[in-house]
Amino acid sequence: MTTENMAPLLQAIGISKTYPGGVVANDNVNIAVNAGEVHAVVGENGAGKSTLMKILFGVEQADSGELRLVGEQVRFGSPRAAINAGIGMVFQHFSLVPSFSAYENIVLGSEPRSGIRFDRRKAIEEVRALSARFRLHVDPLQPVRQLPVGQQQRVEILKALYRGGRILILDEPTAVLTPQEVTELFSAIRALVAQGRTVIFIAHKLPEVLEISSRITVMRGGKTIGEIETKDATEQKLANMMVGREVTLRVERKPYNGKVTLAVNRLSLMNELRATVCDDVSLTVRSGEIVGLAGVAGNGQAELIEAIAGLRSVAGGDIAIGGESILPLGVRARRGKGMASIPEDRISQGLALGASVAENLVATRLDDRLFARGGLLDLGEMRANAERLIERFSIRIDGPNALAATLSGGNMQKVVVARELSEQPRLLLVSQPTRGVDLGSTQFIWRILTETRNAGAAVLLSSADLSELLALSDRLMVFYRGRIVAAFRNSDELTTEMLGACMLGLSRQSPEEMRAALA
Amino acid sequence: MSEAATTRRWAVLRRETGRALGAAIIALAVAFLIILFSSKTPLQAFATLTTAPITKVRTVGLWIDDVAKLTVAGLAYSLVFQARQFALGVQGQVYVGALAASYIALSPLGQTWCAIPLGIVCAMAGGALWGFLPGIAKARLGANEIVSSLMLNYVAIELANYLIRVDLTTPNSRLLSTAPFPSTAVFPALIPNTRIDIGLIFALTSVVAVWFALYRTSWGLKLRLVGHNSRFAQYAGIKEAFIIVSAMAASGALGGLLGAMFVEGRSFGKLAVSFEGNLAFEGLLIAIVARNRPLAVPVAALFYGYLRQGAQLMSIRTDVPSEIIVIVTAVIILLVASSYSVKPRAMLAAITRSSRPARTHVEAVK
Amino acid sequence: MIELLATVFSAAFFLTVIRTSTPLLLATLGGLIADLSGALNVALEGIMLVSCLTAVVVSVYAPWYVAVIAALLAGAFLGSVMAFFHLRLKADIVLVGFAINIFASGATVFALTLATGGDKGSSTNLISKPVPALDLSFLGMVPGVGGLLVRTLSGHSVLSWLAGLLVFVLWYFLYRTSWGLQLRSVGEHPSALEAAGVSANALRGWSLVASGALAGLAGAQLSMFNYVGFTRDMTAGRGFIALGAVLLGARHPVGALLAALLFGMFDALSVVMPGLFNWIPAELIRMIPFVVTIVALILFSYRMKLTSTTFDH
Repeated sequence: MTTENMAPLLQAIGISKTYPGGVVANDNVNIAVNAGEVHAVVGENGAGKSTLMKILFGVEQADSGELRLVGEQVRFGSPRAAINAGIGMVFQHFSLVPSFSAYENIVLGSEPRSGIRFDRRKAIEEVRALSARFRLHVDPLQPVRQLPVGQQQRVEILKALYRGGRILILDEPTAVLTPQEVTELFSAIRALVAQGRTVIFIAHKLPEVLEISSRITVMRGGKTIGEIETKDATEQKLANMMVGREVTLRVERKPYNGKVTLAVNRLSLMNELRATVCDDVSLTVRSGEIVGLAGVAGNGQAELIEAIAGLRSVAGGDIAIGGESILPLGVRARRGKGMASIPEDRISQGLALGASVAENLVATRLDDRLFARGGLLDLGEMRANAERLIERFSIRIDGPNALAATLSGGNMQKVVVARELSEQPRLLLVSQPTRGVDLGSTQFIWRILTETRNAGAAVLLSSADLSELLALSDRLMVFYRGRIVAAFRNSDELTTEMLGACMLGLSRQSPEEMRAALA
Repeated sequence: MSEAATTRRWAVLRRETGRALGAAIIALAVAFLIILFSSKTPLQAFATLTTAPITKVRTVGLWIDDVAKLTVAGLAYSLVFQARQFALGVQGQVYVGALAASYIALSPLGQTWCAIPLGIVCAMAGGALWGFLPGIAKARLGANEIVSSLMLNYVAIELANYLIRVDLTTPNSRLLSTAPFPSTAVFPALIPNTRIDIGLIFALTSVVAVWFALYRTSWGLKLRLVGHNSRFAQYAGIKEAFIIVSAMAASGALGGLLGAMFVEGRSFGKLAVSFEGNLAFEGLLIAIVARNRPLAVPVAALFYGYLRQGAQLMSIRTDVPSEIIVIVTAVIILLVASSYSVKPRAMLAAITRSSRPARTHVEAVK
Repeated sequence: MIELLATVFSAAFFLTVIRTSTPLLLATLGGLIADLSGALNVALEGIMLVSCLTAVVVSVYAPWYVAVIAALLAGAFLGSVMAFFHLRLKADIVLVGFAINIFASGATVFALTLATGGDKGSSTNLISKPVPALDLSFLGMVPGVGGLLVRTLSGHSVLSWLAGLLVFVLWYFLYRTSWGLQLRSVGEHPSALEAAGVSANALRGWSLVASGALAGLAGAQLSMFNYVGFTRDMTAGRGFIALGAVLLGARHPVGALLAALLFGMFDALSVVMPGLFNWIPAELIRMIPFVVTIVALILFSYRMKLTSTTFDH
């Protein structure tokens, strides 16, 4: 349909955007998307992809440059304007109302009406028809908070299509999906393109980009580095364009043979709705090893880590550190036993942005005699502690008294890691250590985790990124519906596909196989 | 401290001071307009409002006496606001504290030297109890502290009215106040022949105590961390429930102290119905203008107390009711609490800007 | 005790309950619509107070219905002031609400002084009009139950009937229209609607205006029916009780109705009890609605904690 001399469907020319505070997010960015293609935009975090997409969708306005739709200049002052022009966007963090049903979420903002009444029946019919047409299956009547992540994403895509989206922007859609769900998403994307839709696909997992896209725009440091046809691209070539240097993602692993540090025995957990989320889970982590927890989000891994950290009450079973039950202990006492924890949501759970960096760095040790004696703070020691850690983790900052809010995202993450690893922990709990982190920082974090392990810590790692789990873990446990359904010793034969099959409950191990890797 | 951090701190201080002064000027302009339309002698009224408090030693005394009380009220709000608890129960705590102090003063103990110290301790304990109740309901059950603390205000007021009428009244006070306290139970004056008494000392001590507690103790750091991010506090092993309850009880103790300062102070020396004249709620303004910083609280109280005294004098000497000060208070709260800047052009832009949806929350953290 | 029971089950007491519940119900509905849009309206108290005075002053010069409309508009105006400061200037909603409350407590006295020529306490020298009661005595012709119908249904304020109707209207709006769907989505997860290209702030703004208008009607009922005339601080915490009633009513219009009736009943008891039990001090009786609100709030929070469920509709 598109020929060489026809104008691109959507084109951005010379887009620049500087945020208040002076961060240049986009600097003379150009992108041209042709009708009927899957156009991937790749780049590290902070490369400016998200800002560009927000400008395309009217959430943000460019300081300079122009947007063209089929050759004609357009201005999107709001998402509404972009939606009216046929652009739909699926954000990385879904914007769904949890208690609303799928169809209510899909039609929200453009509801069918009869008179002043919201025509529910028509809405359900339309959603059913749409979901059949694009083979995006969801139960329209189910509240979205009960849907698995993959289906929530389908609801988001249907939401965009319902508004007549011709161009769909998908912001890192695979970050939260299992390999099998990714396959389903890709077949849906192919169906969309076959029916005349255009897809802009933002990603940083290169194999996926190579599989689904037809053309690729690479961004780095707020600029567009180049555009290539997917058939001419290789993973290495793209990676070089993205970071401007050679990267290899591999970690050296020493053999281990430590004592059991963490023992979880027949643990059961319930959620706020009194449904069982962890059922009869047993596992051990030895000193000097990394045990990886694999599983689709919502299958109990996150709750297990919360329970060990002392943030969730236990319905049955036991958790012990060094042979001693820690169930009677609060968070503080568990930390006193040598537990450290790097939470998934580092900025919203791991930091107090309104407090100073020095204060953030001692927040978990406020009953330590080093920093507080007789209830009085030792400001000098707090400051010295901050200076040591700022130096050791090369945190870029004005000084220990700067507010945490003034740091860049990457440096905020470092503050959390620095605090948790300021003393060598016996047990380290880590969730999604590199989600939303660029390649350079990923390597830094992987190195730190490996060093902590090699120094004798027992590390329990939960991650949605299977290649990360395979790169770091000594052993892997797969969660499905609150149970461990498979356990592996890491080896070269173990693949993401094998893990993925267990994560979806498609294959199960025999008790003997599991026992061999559980101990 | 690095120089960059010091400079930034000064810049923040300058900006905040500028905002507060700007708000005060706008609020005074509003007051002037209202006076212009409602008074027969507007210029005289406005002059009284702005200059009367410093014209006589006696009025300066009234002003400083108000400042002491506003300071304690402002500290009480600052303490709970720093823990991000919207407890608005200072008014009730003042009544309970006043009752406790009055019972001591009117008992045989009131005739002895221990009337004042014991009165203050009991007042603070009573206020702390009144702060503890919504605190424990919030920490244990998640009961909304705004609603519960406001309800307790009314309960305390009715309780005070009842006890004054039935238990504490004297025959010739028409059931509206107690007998005057014995001189042993009235604060000694700091400056003779003025209202300035040792309440001022208590206020300044409280400033230092609250500042020290918030910025030099681990309890204070925990309290501020809970206020900044309660999820983080839990994750870090800080006992959030304890912090909430203790912060609200400590704030209540300050409210109770304020109650004692009212009834034992030289301006009253007895317990009367509706004695606090809404001053407790004006402490809200002090806390907001001072951005909950204990050291800024007395400064804000000094400015606001001046206006408040000016308004009182204006209502006595001219035809403008003193309630105009309350309108000024509301305007200042609105302006200081909002993100307005002193630049008039930005204000205009904000007012005239066409309706535009705010940025989506998606991906706000990046 | 027998006297109390006889009173409580009398038609006159029923009329009193409806009378005392009506301002609470209107204010609770106002609180509900703001709460569902994600903005806690702590200014109900102040808005009611301003509307009380507006209604009284306007009714001196104009028919009663004009006064009611003026009270409603005054409430809506204060709601829009809140919306402006909260949504446009990003001020905290609780602080804005309290600024309105503080403003109301002073401005009403200030305005009252000007309107009465110096009286700071009440509007006794202003001849204000009441809202008429709806006379349904023709129901007496219904055979058998006619007398009962007249005794229970006749004599309520026009605004009481309107409040009852508004419960249904608000329920229909929230759960049967698309605006209601959007409004509820804003309170629960604002970015969903933003991402769909609808301004959440506009909806929030309108819901604050509606919230103010409903509180305005509550004020009109209070100063034109429950009492005819204005006295300083006559709302006496009803706006805050309404906030408790929103929570207690599980954030649903029908729940709001039930909660308002409950609080209204205790308010009515405090009206009839001094006559029956003159040995109970008036102050303690006046305390009842506040204590009941605290107890109800605590019990409700306790139940929420036990079940930990969010409400579906």
